[in-house]
Amino acid sequence: MQDALIRKLESFEELTDADRAALRMFVPRVRQVGPRTDLIREGDAPGDVHLILSGYACRYKDLPDGRRQIMAYFVPGDFCDLNVFILDQMDHNIGTISPCQVVEIPRQAIEEVTTNHPRVMRALMWCALVDEAVLREWLVNIGSRQSDQRIAHLFCELLLRLEAVGHVNNNSYAFPFTQTEVADTMGLSDVHVNRTLRELRRLELITLKGRILTILDVPHLKAYCGFNPNYLHLRNARWSGRRQVPWLRNVQGG
Amino acid sequence: MLAGRDNVETLVVLQPIAVDTGSPDRDGMLAIANGLLVAVLVRLADPEHDNVGSWFFEVGFGRLHGKKAPTFLSLEEATRWLRRHLKLA
Repeated sequence: MQDALIRKLESFEELTDADRAALRMFVPRVRQVGPRTDLIREGDAPGDVHLILSGYACRYKDLPDGRRQIMAYFVPGDFCDLNVFILDQMDHNIGTISPCQVVEIPRQAIEEVTTNHPRVMRALMWCALVDEAVLREWLVNIGSRQSDQRIAHLFCELLLRLEAVGHVNNNSYAFPFTQTEVADTMGLSDVHVNRTLRELRRLELITLKGRILTILDVPHLKAYCGFNPNYLHLRNARWSGRRQVPWLRNVQGG
Repeated sequence: MLAGRDNVETLVVLQPIAVDTGSPDRDGMLAIANGLLVAVLVRLADPEHDNVGSWFFEVGFGRLHGKKAPTFLSLEEATRWLRRHLKLA
């Protein structure tokens, strides 16, 4: 499991033998978590850093009137709370969507390795910066795009993020989110989400059957919502050769 | 006179209107409170909705702008909700 983490970080930053040895000192725990289960709640003291190995999770806030807003989706290979563990108290919740395999890395272990290994630190910062870039794009999405484009944009983003970790087959990927979860993410009502999905199907851009989303025409869907993948930083000019992310498949296979 | 004003029910009048929602949901009602348009309700007709036949709070104006509402089983229920939320504001 340490190797998984090392491979992930190496896709961002060149590590030395000493860096790798330090990462191997981690003794991460792997936990199987059921669907729609909180990993950590608002108000809790963050202890471990969570890395999703399989399944989907999300970051969300509960509102006083019983509604909720989802602010991030986590797919295999994503840290859920890398930049949160330094804080004393969680200001939001992190919960699973589908059943997940979650790695828990103790906060202290992260602090030790980042203090002594600047390249590991930089790789972790890369992960955190990409998370921030995604959050910025979601802000643009919710604030400035129409509901049809908003959902199309989410579908394009998930396609690329899941493709990067080997979870896309013929432009199809698992989509375990309910209509209400999509509505809570996009700031829309269930009714609008339903109408939008209908419209995207009518335009023959997608199909959604048995919780599998298929994008029938990727270039068209991207054009439809003006998708620019630059914020995902999937192709770094310096490390593009190494950024193949085979680590995740190896972990899940073995 | 003034003391009694809070007890006066807001008069909500519904007026049928066809609405273009880009879907089969098109039977709508203009909800007019004390002579002002405050909301548009639309009856859910698309069989893919969870609650076909219910009334959806499509859009609100003024103090109901941006408000999230449940779907309503009847227009009476919708009217009660509108009255309550116009009063609360």
